[in-house]
Amino acid sequence: MSIRLDNVWVRLGDTDVLRNLTLQVEARTVAVVGENGSGKSTFARLLGGLVTRTAGELAVLGLDPGSRSGELRRRIAVVFSNPDAQIVMPTVAEDVAFSLRADRLSTSELQERVAVALARFGLTALANRPSHDLSGGQKQLLALCGAFVRRPELVIADEPTAYLDARNARRVADHLLEDAGHRLVLVTHDLVLAQRCDVAILFAEGRVTAVGEPAAIVSEYEAMLR
Amino acid sequence: MMTLYRPGTGWLHRMATGPKIILLLLVVLSVSLLPAAWWAALVAAGVSTLAYAVAGLADGMRELVRQIVAVRWIIVIMLAGQLLFLGPEQAISNTSRVVAAVVIAALLVITTQVSALLDAVERGLRPLEWCRVDSQRAALLLTVTLSTIPVLARLAGEVRDAQRARGARASLRFFVVPFLVVALKHADDLGDALAARGVR
Repeated sequence: MSIRLDNVWVRLGDTDVLRNLTLQVEARTVAVVGENGSGKSTFARLLGGLVTRTAGELAVLGLDPGSRSGELRRRIAVVFSNPDAQIVMPTVAEDVAFSLRADRLSTSELQERVAVALARFGLTALANRPSHDLSGGQKQLLALCGAFVRRPELVIADEPTAYLDARNARRVADHLLEDAGHRLVLVTHDLVLAQRCDVAILFAEGRVTAVGEPAAIVSEYEAMLR
Repeated sequence: MMTLYRPGTGWLHRMATGPKIILLLLVVLSVSLLPAAWWAALVAAGVSTLAYAVAGLADGMRELVRQIVAVRWIIVIMLAGQLLFLGPEQAISNTSRVVAAVVIAALLVITTQVSALLDAVERGLRPLEWCRVDSQRAALLLTVTLSTIPVLARLAGEVRDAQRARGARASLRFFVVPFLVVALKHADDLGDALAARGVR
Protein backbone atom coordinates (compact mmCIF):
# COMPACT_ATOMS: atom_id res chain seq x y z
CA MET A 1 0.00 0.00 0.00
CA SER A 2 2.85 2.27 0.82
CA ILE A 3 1.24 4.76 3.14
CA ARG A 4 3.49 6.15 5.82
CA LEU A 5 2.58 8.75 8.43
CA ASP A 6 4.92 9.97 11.13
CA ASN A 7 3.52 12.17 13.91
CA VAL A 8 0.99 13.78 11.53
CA TRP A 9 -1.37 16.43 12.86
CA VAL A 10 -4.19 18.15 10.98
CA ARG A 11 -5.86 21.22 12.44
CA LEU A 12 -9.02 22.61 10.81
CA GLY A 13 -10.11 25.92 12.34
CA ASP A 14 -9.62 25.57 16.08
CA THR A 15 -9.88 21.80 16.15
CA ASP A 16 -7.18 19.16 15.87
CA VAL A 17 -9.04 16.75 13.59
CA LEU A 18 -6.15 14.30 13.28
CA ARG A 19 -3.76 13.92 16.20
CA ASN A 20 -0.29 12.50 16.16
CA LEU A 21 -0.88 9.79 13.57
CA THR A 22 2.00 7.39 13.17
CA LEU A 23 1.24 4.56 10.81
CA GLN A 24 2.75 2.41 8.10
CA VAL A 25 0.48 0.25 5.95
CA GLU A 26 1.51 -2.28 3.31
CA ALA A 27 -1.63 -3.99 1.99
CA ARG A 28 -3.69 -4.00 -1.21
CA THR A 29 -6.98 -3.03 0.40
CA VAL A 30 -7.34 -1.07 3.62
CA ALA A 31 -10.61 -0.35 5.42
CA VAL A 32 -10.90 2.72 7.63
CA VAL A 33 -13.63 2.51 10.28
CA GLY A 34 -14.74 4.63 13.21
CA GLU A 35 -17.56 6.78 14.49
CA ASN A 36 -18.76 9.98 12.81
CA GLY A 37 -16.30 12.78 13.53
CA SER A 38 -13.47 10.40 14.37
CA GLY A 39 -11.27 11.75 11.55
CA LYS A 40 -11.74 9.03 8.90
CA SER A 41 -12.77 11.36 6.09
CA THR A 42 -10.05 13.88 6.93
CA PHE A 43 -7.57 11.00 6.82
CA ALA A 44 -8.83 10.05 3.33
CA ARG A 45 -8.66 13.67 2.16
CA LEU A 46 -5.16 13.98 3.62
CA LEU A 47 -3.98 10.96 1.61
CA GLY A 48 -5.62 12.42 -1.50
CA GLY A 49 -3.83 15.74 -1.07
CA LEU A 50 -7.11 17.59 -0.43
CA VAL A 51 -6.17 18.57 3.12
CA THR A 52 -2.73 19.74 4.21
CA ARG A 53 -1.13 18.49 7.38
CA THR A 54 -0.27 20.92 10.14
CA ALA A 55 2.76 18.91 11.33
CA GLY A 56 4.54 15.61 10.75
CA GLU A 57 5.78 13.59 7.80
CA LEU A 58 3.59 11.83 5.25
CA ALA A 59 4.22 9.72 2.14
CA VAL A 60 1.63 8.15 -0.17
CA LEU A 61 3.07 5.87 -2.88
CA GLY A 62 6.40 7.31 -1.81
CA LEU A 63 5.32 10.91 -2.54
CA ASP A 64 4.58 13.79 -0.19
CA PRO A 65 1.00 14.99 -0.96
CA GLY A 66 1.95 18.46 0.24
CA SER A 67 4.89 19.14 -2.07
CA ARG A 68 4.19 16.72 -4.95
CA SER A 69 0.40 16.86 -5.14
CA GLY A 70 0.34 17.20 -8.96
CA GLU A 71 2.32 14.01 -9.50
CA LEU A 72 0.38 12.18 -6.80
CA ARG A 73 -2.99 13.13 -8.30
CA ARG A 74 -1.98 11.58 -11.58
CA ARG A 75 -1.44 8.28 -9.76
CA ILE A 76 -4.42 8.23 -7.41
CA ALA A 77 -8.20 8.65 -7.69
CA VAL A 78 -10.63 9.78 -5.00
CA VAL A 79 -14.27 8.75 -4.86
CA PHE A 80 -16.70 10.53 -2.51
CA SER A 81 -20.06 9.54 -1.06
CA ASN A 82 -22.05 12.16 -2.98
CA PRO A 83 -21.90 11.29 -6.68
CA ASP A 84 -23.67 14.52 -7.73
CA ALA A 85 -20.64 16.58 -6.75
CA GLN A 86 -18.36 14.37 -8.83
CA ILE A 87 -20.24 14.71 -12.10
CA VAL A 88 -18.99 17.57 -14.24
CA MET A 89 -20.07 16.89 -17.81
CA PRO A 90 -23.64 16.64 -19.13
CA THR A 91 -23.54 13.13 -20.58
CA VAL A 92 -22.18 9.88 -19.17
CA ALA A 93 -19.50 9.33 -21.85
CA GLU A 94 -18.37 12.95 -21.73
CA ASP A 95 -18.04 12.80 -17.96
CA VAL A 96 -15.82 9.73 -18.14
CA ALA A 97 -13.75 11.38 -20.90
CA PHE A 98 -13.34 14.48 -18.70
CA SER A 99 -11.04 12.49 -16.39
CA LEU A 100 -8.62 12.02 -19.30
CA ARG A 101 -8.55 15.66 -20.48
CA ALA A 102 -5.15 16.36 -18.97
CA ASP A 103 -3.62 13.35 -20.76
CA ARG A 104 -4.12 14.92 -24.22
CA LEU A 105 -4.90 11.56 -25.85
CA SER A 106 -5.79 11.19 -29.52
CA THR A 107 -9.54 11.05 -30.24
CA SER A 108 -9.44 7.34 -31.09
CA GLU A 109 -7.46 6.43 -27.98
CA LEU A 110 -9.74 8.58 -25.83
CA GLN A 111 -12.86 6.94 -27.25
CA GLU A 112 -11.38 3.48 -26.76
CA ARG A 113 -10.41 4.14 -23.14
CA VAL A 114 -13.88 5.56 -22.42
CA ALA A 115 -15.65 2.66 -24.16
CA VAL A 116 -13.63 0.07 -22.20
CA ALA A 117 -14.33 1.85 -18.91
CA LEU A 118 -18.06 2.20 -19.65
CA ALA A 119 -18.28 -1.50 -20.52
CA ARG A 120 -16.47 -2.48 -17.31
CA PHE A 121 -18.99 -0.59 -15.18
CA GLY A 122 -22.03 -1.65 -17.25
CA LEU A 123 -22.69 1.89 -18.46
CA THR A 124 -22.33 1.42 -22.23
CA ALA A 125 -26.07 1.61 -22.88
CA LEU A 126 -26.21 4.88 -20.90
CA ALA A 127 -23.28 6.55 -22.70
CA ASN A 128 -25.35 9.36 -24.25
CA ARG A 129 -27.77 9.78 -21.32
CA PRO A 130 -27.70 13.03 -19.29
CA SER A 131 -25.49 12.27 -16.28
CA HIS A 132 -27.75 13.92 -13.72
CA ASP A 133 -30.79 11.91 -14.86
CA LEU A 134 -29.20 8.67 -13.68
CA SER A 135 -30.28 6.86 -10.51
CA GLY A 136 -28.11 7.21 -7.39
CA GLY A 137 -26.49 3.81 -7.99
CA GLN A 138 -25.78 4.59 -11.64
CA LYS A 139 -24.30 7.97 -10.67
CA GLN A 140 -21.93 6.34 -8.19
CA LEU A 141 -20.93 3.78 -10.83
CA LEU A 142 -20.27 6.74 -13.17
CA ALA A 143 -18.13 8.38 -10.49
CA LEU A 144 -16.18 5.12 -10.12
CA CYS A 145 -15.88 4.83 -13.89
CA GLY A 146 -14.50 8.39 -14.06
CA ALA A 147 -11.98 7.46 -11.38
CA PHE A 148 -10.90 4.10 -12.81
CA VAL A 149 -10.58 5.29 -16.43
CA ARG A 150 -7.40 7.07 -15.34
CA ARG A 151 -5.94 3.68 -14.30
CA PRO A 152 -4.97 4.88 -10.82
CA GLU A 153 -2.45 3.00 -8.70
CA LEU A 154 -4.39 3.90 -5.56
CA VAL A 155 -8.13 4.56 -5.13
CA ILE A 156 -9.29 6.42 -2.03
CA ALA A 157 -13.02 5.96 -1.49
CA ASP A 158 -14.81 7.95 1.22
CA GLU A 159 -18.06 6.16 2.10
CA PRO A 160 -18.82 5.35 -1.55
CA THR A 161 -21.83 3.19 -0.67
CA ALA A 162 -23.41 5.63 1.82
CA TYR A 163 -26.41 6.62 -0.33
CA LEU A 164 -26.95 3.30 -2.11
CA ASP A 165 -29.38 0.42 -1.73
CA ALA A 166 -28.01 -3.06 -0.95
CA ARG A 167 -27.75 -4.19 -4.58
CA ASN A 168 -25.98 -1.04 -5.81
CA ALA A 169 -23.78 -0.93 -2.70
CA ARG A 170 -22.61 -4.47 -3.47
CA ARG A 171 -21.93 -3.63 -7.13
CA VAL A 172 -19.88 -0.56 -6.18
CA ALA A 173 -18.02 -2.52 -3.49
CA ASP A 174 -17.25 -5.38 -5.90
CA HIS A 175 -15.73 -2.94 -8.39
CA LEU A 176 -13.65 -1.27 -5.70
CA LEU A 177 -12.39 -4.51 -4.20
CA GLU A 178 -11.67 -6.45 -7.38
CA ASP A 179 -7.97 -6.88 -8.06
CA ALA A 180 -7.55 -4.71 -11.17
CA GLY A 181 -4.02 -3.57 -10.43
CA HIS A 182 -5.06 -0.81 -8.02
CA ARG A 183 -4.79 -0.47 -4.28
CA LEU A 184 -7.64 0.78 -2.15
CA VAL A 185 -8.23 2.85 0.97
CA LEU A 186 -11.91 2.49 1.82
CA VAL A 187 -13.54 4.68 4.46
CA THR A 188 -16.77 2.98 5.44
CA HIS A 189 -19.44 2.49 8.09
CA ASP A 190 -20.33 -0.85 6.49
CA LEU A 191 -18.59 -3.31 8.78
CA VAL A 192 -19.31 -6.29 6.51
CA LEU A 193 -17.63 -4.44 3.67
CA ALA A 194 -14.71 -3.51 5.93
CA GLN A 195 -14.11 -7.20 6.61
CA ARG A 196 -13.60 -7.84 2.89
CA CYS A 197 -10.41 -5.74 3.03
CA ASP A 198 -6.91 -7.02 3.84
CA VAL A 199 -6.26 -4.63 6.72
CA ALA A 200 -8.47 -2.33 8.81
CA ILE A 201 -7.66 0.86 10.69
CA LEU A 202 -9.84 2.02 13.58
CA PHE A 203 -10.15 5.74 14.27
CA ALA A 204 -11.43 7.37 17.44
CA GLU A 205 -11.28 11.08 18.31
CA GLY A 206 -8.75 11.87 15.60
CA ARG A 207 -6.35 9.09 16.53
CA VAL A 208 -5.62 5.62 15.18
CA THR A 209 -6.53 3.26 18.00
CA ALA A 210 -5.94 -0.06 16.23
CA VAL A 211 -4.56 -1.47 12.98
CA GLY A 212 -4.78 -5.09 11.96
CA GLU A 213 -6.85 -7.97 10.66
CA PRO A 214 -10.34 -6.59 9.77
CA ALA A 215 -12.42 -9.11 11.74
CA ALA A 216 -10.47 -8.32 14.92
CA ILE A 217 -10.68 -4.58 14.32
CA VAL A 218 -14.43 -4.74 13.68
CA SER A 219 -14.90 -6.71 16.94
CA GLU A 220 -12.89 -4.09 18.79
CA TYR A 221 -14.96 -1.31 17.20
CA GLU A 222 -18.24 -3.03 18.13
CA ALA A 223 -17.01 -3.47 21.70
CA MET A 224 -16.16 0.24 21.77
CA LEU A 225 -19.70 1.11 20.67
CA ARG A 226 -21.38 -0.91 23.46
CA MET B 1 -27.89 19.01 -16.62
CA MET B 2 -28.18 21.62 -19.34
CA THR B 3 -27.88 19.24 -22.25
CA LEU B 4 -29.78 19.87 -25.47
CA TYR B 5 -27.49 17.65 -27.49
CA ARG B 6 -29.26 15.14 -29.72
CA PRO B 7 -27.02 12.35 -30.99
CA GLY B 8 -26.92 12.26 -34.79
CA THR B 9 -24.78 11.80 -37.88
CA GLY B 10 -25.98 14.72 -40.08
CA TRP B 11 -23.55 17.15 -41.72
CA LEU B 12 -23.98 19.73 -38.98
CA HIS B 13 -23.19 17.08 -36.36
CA ARG B 14 -20.03 16.13 -38.24
CA MET B 15 -18.90 19.71 -38.92
CA ALA B 16 -15.91 20.96 -36.86
CA THR B 17 -17.07 23.07 -33.90
CA GLY B 18 -15.13 26.26 -34.78
CA PRO B 19 -16.47 26.63 -38.35
CA LYS B 20 -19.93 25.60 -37.09
CA ILE B 21 -19.92 28.44 -34.55
CA ILE B 22 -18.90 30.93 -37.25
CA LEU B 23 -21.52 29.64 -39.73
CA LEU B 24 -24.35 29.80 -37.20
CA LEU B 25 -23.14 33.19 -35.97
CA LEU B 26 -23.35 34.56 -39.52
CA VAL B 27 -26.89 33.19 -39.99
CA VAL B 28 -27.99 34.57 -36.62
CA LEU B 29 -26.46 37.97 -37.42
CA SER B 30 -28.17 38.05 -40.83
CA VAL B 31 -31.56 37.36 -39.28
CA SER B 32 -30.97 39.85 -36.46
CA LEU B 33 -30.12 42.66 -38.88
CA LEU B 34 -33.33 42.34 -40.90
CA PRO B 35 -35.51 45.49 -40.82
CA ALA B 36 -38.70 45.75 -38.77
CA ALA B 37 -41.15 44.88 -41.56
CA TRP B 38 -43.76 42.22 -42.33
CA TRP B 39 -41.58 40.58 -44.99
CA ALA B 40 -38.70 40.37 -42.47
CA ALA B 41 -40.88 38.30 -40.12
CA LEU B 42 -41.59 35.89 -42.99
CA VAL B 43 -37.90 35.71 -43.92
CA ALA B 44 -36.92 35.02 -40.26
CA ALA B 45 -39.51 32.23 -40.03
CA GLY B 46 -38.41 30.85 -43.40
CA VAL B 47 -34.68 30.86 -42.52
CA SER B 48 -35.37 29.08 -39.20
CA THR B 49 -37.49 26.42 -40.89
CA LEU B 50 -34.91 25.96 -43.64
CA ALA B 51 -32.07 25.73 -41.12
CA TYR B 52 -33.78 22.90 -39.21
CA ALA B 53 -34.85 21.18 -42.44
CA VAL B 54 -31.33 21.01 -43.89
CA ALA B 55 -29.36 20.56 -40.63
CA GLY B 56 -29.49 16.79 -40.97
CA LEU B 57 -31.38 16.21 -37.72
CA ALA B 58 -33.39 12.99 -37.35
CA ASP B 59 -36.63 14.97 -36.98
CA GLY B 60 -35.80 18.60 -37.71
CA MET B 61 -39.34 20.00 -37.73
CA ARG B 62 -40.26 18.40 -34.41
CA GLU B 63 -37.03 19.77 -32.91
CA LEU B 64 -37.89 23.25 -34.24
CA VAL B 65 -41.32 23.09 -32.60
CA ARG B 66 -39.68 21.91 -29.34
CA GLN B 67 -37.31 24.87 -29.41
CA ILE B 68 -40.12 27.36 -30.11
CA VAL B 69 -42.17 25.91 -27.26
CA ALA B 70 -39.12 26.28 -24.99
CA VAL B 71 -39.02 30.05 -25.67
CA ARG B 72 -42.80 30.56 -25.53
CA TRP B 73 -42.60 32.98 -22.59
CA ILE B 74 -40.06 35.15 -24.45
CA ILE B 75 -42.54 35.29 -27.35
CA VAL B 76 -45.44 36.20 -25.09
CA ILE B 77 -43.56 38.90 -23.16
CA MET B 78 -41.96 40.45 -26.26
CA LEU B 79 -45.19 40.44 -28.24
CA ALA B 80 -47.30 41.84 -25.42
CA GLY B 81 -44.91 44.69 -24.63
CA GLN B 82 -44.30 45.71 -28.23
CA LEU B 83 -47.92 45.41 -29.33
CA LEU B 84 -48.76 48.01 -26.71
CA PHE B 85 -46.08 50.52 -27.69
CA LEU B 86 -44.92 49.82 -31.26
CA GLY B 87 -47.86 48.33 -33.16
CA PRO B 88 -48.35 44.93 -34.81
CA GLU B 89 -45.83 45.13 -37.68
CA GLN B 90 -42.83 45.99 -35.50
CA ALA B 91 -43.97 43.70 -32.67
CA ILE B 92 -44.30 40.64 -34.91
CA SER B 93 -41.17 41.30 -36.98
CA ASN B 94 -39.00 42.03 -33.92
CA THR B 95 -40.28 38.96 -32.05
CA SER B 96 -39.80 36.77 -35.13
CA ARG B 97 -36.21 37.92 -35.55
CA VAL B 98 -35.36 37.33 -31.89
CA VAL B 99 -37.03 33.89 -31.82
CA ALA B 100 -35.34 32.95 -35.11
CA ALA B 101 -31.95 34.00 -33.72
CA VAL B 102 -32.49 31.95 -30.53
CA VAL B 103 -33.68 28.77 -32.27
CA ILE B 104 -30.94 28.95 -34.93
CA ALA B 105 -28.31 29.43 -32.22
CA ALA B 106 -29.78 26.38 -30.47
CA LEU B 107 -28.63 24.28 -33.42
CA LEU B 108 -25.11 24.64 -32.05
CA VAL B 109 -25.89 22.88 -28.76
CA ILE B 110 -28.29 20.44 -30.40
CA THR B 111 -25.56 19.18 -32.75
CA THR B 112 -22.44 19.64 -30.59
CA GLN B 113 -21.41 17.77 -27.46
CA VAL B 114 -20.41 19.94 -24.50
CA SER B 115 -16.91 18.43 -24.54
CA ALA B 116 -16.45 19.63 -28.15
CA LEU B 117 -17.74 23.10 -27.17
CA LEU B 118 -15.32 23.08 -24.25
CA ASP B 119 -12.43 22.30 -26.62
CA ALA B 120 -13.56 25.02 -29.04
CA VAL B 121 -13.84 27.65 -26.30
CA GLU B 122 -10.42 26.63 -25.02
CA ARG B 123 -8.88 26.90 -28.52
CA GLY B 124 -10.69 30.18 -29.17
CA LEU B 125 -9.38 31.75 -25.97
CA ARG B 126 -5.81 30.50 -26.42
CA PRO B 127 -4.67 33.64 -28.31
CA LEU B 128 -5.64 35.63 -25.21
CA GLU B 129 -3.13 33.77 -23.05
CA TRP B 130 -0.57 36.53 -23.71
CA CYS B 131 -2.74 38.78 -21.51
CA ARG B 132 -2.91 36.07 -18.80
CA VAL B 133 -6.32 34.63 -19.76
CA ASP B 134 -6.17 30.96 -18.73
CA SER B 135 -8.11 29.37 -21.61
CA GLN B 136 -8.34 25.96 -19.93
CA ARG B 137 -9.69 27.45 -16.73
CA ALA B 138 -12.18 29.69 -18.57
CA ALA B 139 -13.55 26.74 -20.57
CA LEU B 140 -13.82 24.64 -17.41
CA LEU B 141 -15.61 27.48 -15.61
CA LEU B 142 -18.19 27.59 -18.39
CA THR B 143 -18.74 23.83 -18.22
CA VAL B 144 -18.99 23.71 -14.45
CA THR B 145 -21.45 26.64 -14.49
CA LEU B 146 -23.70 24.82 -16.95
CA SER B 147 -23.47 21.53 -15.06
CA THR B 148 -24.25 23.15 -11.71
CA ILE B 149 -27.56 24.76 -12.73
CA PRO B 150 -29.67 21.57 -12.51
CA VAL B 151 -27.91 20.50 -9.30
CA LEU B 152 -28.79 23.83 -7.66
CA ALA B 153 -32.38 23.47 -8.90
CA ARG B 154 -32.55 20.02 -7.24
CA LEU B 155 -31.00 21.35 -4.02
CA ALA B 156 -33.55 24.18 -3.96
CA GLY B 157 -36.34 21.60 -4.32
CA GLU B 158 -34.91 19.56 -1.45
CA VAL B 159 -34.71 22.62 0.81
CA ARG B 160 -38.34 23.49 0.03
CA ASP B 161 -39.43 19.86 0.62
CA ALA B 162 -37.58 19.77 3.95
CA GLN B 163 -39.35 22.97 5.04
CA ARG B 164 -42.76 21.66 3.97
CA ALA B 165 -42.09 18.40 5.81
CA ARG B 166 -41.59 20.44 9.00
CA GLY B 167 -44.80 22.34 8.41
CA ALA B 168 -43.18 25.64 7.41
CA ARG B 169 -44.95 27.92 4.94
CA ALA B 170 -43.19 29.08 1.79
CA SER B 171 -40.95 31.97 2.79
CA LEU B 172 -38.03 33.51 0.91
CA ARG B 173 -36.35 34.46 4.18
CA PHE B 174 -36.34 30.90 5.53
CA PHE B 175 -35.40 29.49 2.14
CA VAL B 176 -32.32 31.59 1.35
CA VAL B 177 -30.08 30.68 4.31
CA PRO B 178 -30.38 26.86 4.14
CA PHE B 179 -30.18 27.01 0.36
CA LEU B 180 -26.95 29.03 0.53
CA VAL B 181 -25.51 26.55 3.04
CA VAL B 182 -26.21 23.49 0.84
CA ALA B 183 -25.08 25.35 -2.29
CA LEU B 184 -21.76 26.30 -0.68
CA LYS B 185 -21.34 22.73 0.61
CA HIS B 186 -21.90 21.52 -2.96
CA ALA B 187 -19.32 24.03 -4.22
CA ASP B 188 -16.79 22.67 -1.69
CA ASP B 189 -17.50 19.07 -2.70
CA LEU B 190 -17.28 19.94 -6.39
CA GLY B 191 -13.95 21.70 -5.85
CA ASP B 192 -12.58 18.61 -4.09
CA ALA B 193 -13.91 16.33 -6.84
CA LEU B 194 -12.31 18.49 -9.55
CA ALA B 195 -9.01 18.52 -7.67
CA ALA B 196 -9.26 14.74 -7.25
CA ARG B 197 -9.80 14.37 -11.01
CA GLY B 198 -6.58 16.19 -11.75
CA VAL B 199 -7.93 19.74 -12.28
CA ARG B 200 -5.67 22.31 -10.66
